[in-house]
Amino acid sequence: MKKFDLELMVGLFILAGIICLGYLSIKLGKMEVLGGKGYEVYAIFSNIGGLKTGSSIEVAGVDMGRVKSITLDNYQARVVLNLPWSLKIQEDAIASVKTKGLIGEKYIEITPGGSEKVIEPGGRMRETQPAVDLEELISKFVFGKI
Amino acid sequence: MSLPYLFRTLVSLLLVVGVTAPVLAGKPTEQIQQTTDKILSIVKDPALKGPSKAQERRGSVRKAVDERFDWEEMARRSLGRYWAQRTAEEKREFVRLFSELVERTYMGKVEDYSGEKVRYEGETIDGDYAVVKVIIMTQKNKDISVDYRLQKEGTGWLVYDVSIEGVSLVNNYRTQFNSIILQSSYENLLKRLKVKVARE
Repeated sequence: MKKFDLELMVGLFILAGIICLGYLSIKLGKMEVLGGKGYEVYAIFSNIGGLKTGSSIEVAGVDMGRVKSITLDNYQARVVLNLPWSLKIQEDAIASVKTKGLIGEKYIEITPGGSEKVIEPGGRMRETQPAVDLEELISKFVFGKI
Repeated sequence: MSLPYLFRTLVSLLLVVGVTAPVLAGKPTEQIQQTTDKILSIVKDPALKGPSKAQERRGSVRKAVDERFDWEEMARRSLGRYWAQRTAEEKREFVRLFSELVERTYMGKVEDYSGEKVRYEGETIDGDYAVVKVIIMTQKNKDISVDYRLQKEGTGWLVYDVSIEGVSLVNNYRTQFNSIILQSSYENLLKRLKVKVARE
């Protein structure tokens, strides 16, 4: 009888450990279970310069959401953004692909607009600004002078 | 015999009307091309060369640009969330200052014209919005890509944003205006705009 109790305790302990581990990996990996919260809008970029699924979306530097998926649509990047319900995006808001620092990771910055019309869930953010290719810009200045 | 014939004429008539109707409104690329050609002809015009004619030349260029640019829409988008808080009078003043700022900033570039060529790379139309892609080829063989974003306004298309090398003009001004308003006030932004416009 006593032996059975010990085994039960160990089993419960390990189960609790596994649950903790699962919770941690979901929290740290910023994964979403059960479809996630908020709503989705999409945007078409001519170049996203290596933006990845899960990259952050910032408004005024505040982390407000994640990139849900990236697909190629007619040789352009179609990016689905997952945003919280509390954040309304105006129709003339601009989504731009930016880099953290000079060579850091890519993220999407949204500059809010002034329109009264708000983008509905599933709608499209029309105004986008692609990633600026620093290398190309530098080469234009370097080689342009010949 | 006559019924199918009638039917066929009717269908072809419908087709012709259906095809020509959008053409009457003018395609975005055609309208951009028209304005570009107009400005180029002013800049190239030997009768308007020389410093003594600078005023006249600037006036004609400005007129050509005004026809194609929707300054109010551009100013509204640049001011972003703060636009709605302004009175009608303030909005008018802001639009005037904004258009002068943009024109003064870019007029110098137009005056420096030295045989650059413009290549039209196609357009995408989505309802009442369109993007026209243009490449400006300089003589040093540097290609500069410019995207015009247009909105349908009545029968024509008007520009509300210009992206040069992917950097949007409206976004650039929007972040600057927003940070100035946040740091000080709208009045301070107006003051700075006035100083900038008067200086150049």
